[in-house]
Amino acid sequence: MKTKDQKPKTKDIKIYCDITKCVGCRSCEIACAVEHSKSKDIFSAVREKPLPKKRVTTENIGAKIISLHCQHCEDAPCIKACMSGALSKDEKTGATLHDKEKCVGCWMCVMVCPFGAIVRDIENHIAVKCDLCPDRDEDYACVEACPTGALFTGTKEEFEKKIKGRKK
Amino acid sequence: MNYVIIGGSAAGVTAAETIRKQDKESSVTLISDEEFALYSRCLLTYFIAGTINEDKLYFKDKNFYKENDVKTYLGKKAVSIDRKKKSVSLEGGTKISYDKLLIATGATPKSVDIPGIEKKGVFTVRKIDDARAIINMLDSVKEIAVLGGGLIGLRDAYALRQRDKKVTVIVKSPQVLSQMVDMDAARVIASILEKNGIKIMTGVAAKEITGKGSVEGILLDNGERLACQLVVIGKGVKPNTEIASVAGLKVEDGIVVNEFLQTSDKDIFAAGDVAETYDIARESKRINALWPCAIEQGEVAALNMLGEKKTYDGSLSMNSVDFFGLASISMGITKPKEEKKYEIISRTGENSYKKFILKDNRIVGMVLVGDIRPAGVVSALIKNKIDVSSIKEKIVDDNFNYAKIMPVVKEFGDKFKQEEFRDTVLSFK
Ligand SMILES: Cc1cc2nc3c(=O)[nH]c(=O)nc-3n(C[C@H](O)[C@H](O)[C@H](O)COP(=O)(O)OP(=O)(O)OC[C@H]3O[C@@H](n4cnc5c(N)ncnc54)[C@H](O)[C@@H]3O)c2cc1C
Ligand code: SF4
Ligand code: SF4
Repeated sequence: MKTKDQKPKTKDIKIYCDITKCVGCRSCEIACAVEHSKSKDIFSAVREKPLPKKRVTTENIGAKIISLHCQHCEDAPCIKACMSGALSKDEKTGATLHDKEKCVGCWMCVMVCPFGAIVRDIENHIAVKCDLCPDRDEDYACVEACPTGALFTGTKEEFEKKIKGRKK
Repeated sequence: MNYVIIGGSAAGVTAAETIRKQDKESSVTLISDEEFALYSRCLLTYFIAGTINEDKLYFKDKNFYKENDVKTYLGKKAVSIDRKKKSVSLEGGTKISYDKLLIATGATPKSVDIPGIEKKGVFTVRKIDDARAIINMLDSVKEIAVLGGGLIGLRDAYALRQRDKKVTVIVKSPQVLSQMVDMDAARVIASILEKNGIKIMTGVAAKEITGKGSVEGILLDNGERLACQLVVIGKGVKPNTEIASVAGLKVEDGIVVNEFLQTSDKDIFAAGDVAETYDIARESKRINALWPCAIEQGEVAALNMLGEKKTYDGSLSMNSVDFFGLASISMGITKPKEEKKYEIISRTGENSYKKFILKDNRIVGMVLVGDIRPAGVVSALIKNKIDVSSIKEKIVDDNFNYAKIMPVVKEFGDKFKQEEFRDTVLSFK
């Protein structure tokens, strides 16, 4: 079990979104952009050029909203499509990693990611995706920033338990 | 067990890696007629353009073969397969015996049959040597003609234009990318190329390449002459099936394989550009000579060589290009022949174009120019053959994204092959 607020590093743990709790406030998006800024400070981050890029988006499903990012797929289509070797699997953590030095911006990964989780960084002409906050030891930036507790870090069983408990 | 692989590119290398991941004991041998190993062919135009150097051509770590304990014969051509004795002969006479063999020999560019084709300065782009030779000539070249207005030709032209050369693309059809997109989309793409200095001549063909020993120009079939010192033929590829047909394996367009990527000989498998596989959108056999298909097939073939009964879901034609910042993606059936059998949903915006091709309420193809964001989500609908009747009005919307297909994910749960789809709808009621 992970201790609270510590970023877990094993395969079966991932970030889930409880759709019934997400209000679409975009705190996760802002926290993600700030985490990936040079300064890691919101007031300086907004003045950086180019602007830091977020890797999570809130999307509407009818009246409901989901905060969505890379699922770090076990059998990841993006890795198979990447023709430069920029995308790879970290066998230990299960993370799908992107090497921006190798990326040529061919968008083959954008073409096949079923979740639309890869965005184009037009200025630098490279792909950008969730990297599971490599600079943080604490819980992921988006999860920490979520004010409603919709975003959750844990195993599938833990998440299922959490959403079941909530219904009763 | 002795595993032998012919071909050291996307399919062959993936197969070697997959075998080694599961089997640390057996011997794995890989034969490639190229000395320079582990580079990605798809990056060659970036290399020619000068956007990357040779060091960045690798798609695997340089020590891959050593780390994975793969015995290699590099710079050696496999010339024949003796199926009775189960061995492969190399140029020079070396024989290598196998228990399971993978043919991943890829493809070779098609040429054109016109006088002057043998002159110095005429190239195709397939191997590192082609790219190096083109780069070596660049200093003495001002004008370049590219024959072919398909993806390959346009990629070549785009690369050479980035070297500040005067580039003319000669296209037989009335439009560029005629196999891939219709006139509307082709116009958008051609106009960005022309705006950036690439000249496109449609409806004409090269009749002769002129010059003494080296290229000096091209004579077109409309009588016009074009001065150029370099000609690049960018016309598509044909599979390297020779070794398979000589060995008596069943070969049609490519090497024929079953759903386990097994050839007509149960101990010989084929994968990548050389293999003719089941096409998901077309529901028939086809060669999809593409990087992602070669990777997937290399993996599936390897699993079956290991004795796992792993079915290949099938291949899908797909491509992504970015010319001067204009991104385009195409997938599946993009130009249906019998239009009546298909439903087409499209939208043209300023500098963007979206077209989805449906059959029996399933998306079987798409073309996106400009805004490519929906590509991945739609690719999942195509691959998993999802009935989209309930969401099809939304697919051309600007804000179409994964969330819009979640009701369908909820409804058809198990049809989506990846577990991660179900993770996203756990709390979606
Ligand atoms: C310039 C360029 C750009 C491309 N861009 C894209 C792209 O953007 N997206 C995409 O999906 N695809 C692209 N492709 C296609 C992609 O590169 C191929 O689909 C992929 O490389 C196929 O891999 P493969 O392993 O089947 O065969 P190949 O890559 O063709 O490799 C086969 C290898 O086997 C060797 N070989 C052949 N016969 C023998 C023999 N008898 N003995 C020993 N060795 C032999 C060959 O020399 C070669 O090294 C591009 C190709 C080129 C050339
Ligand atoms: S980027 Fe997309 S395909 Fe790749 S691991 Fe993440 S969710 Fe899966
Ligand atoms: S855009 Fe970059 S990460 Fe994506 S497939 Fe191309 S090279 Fe790989």
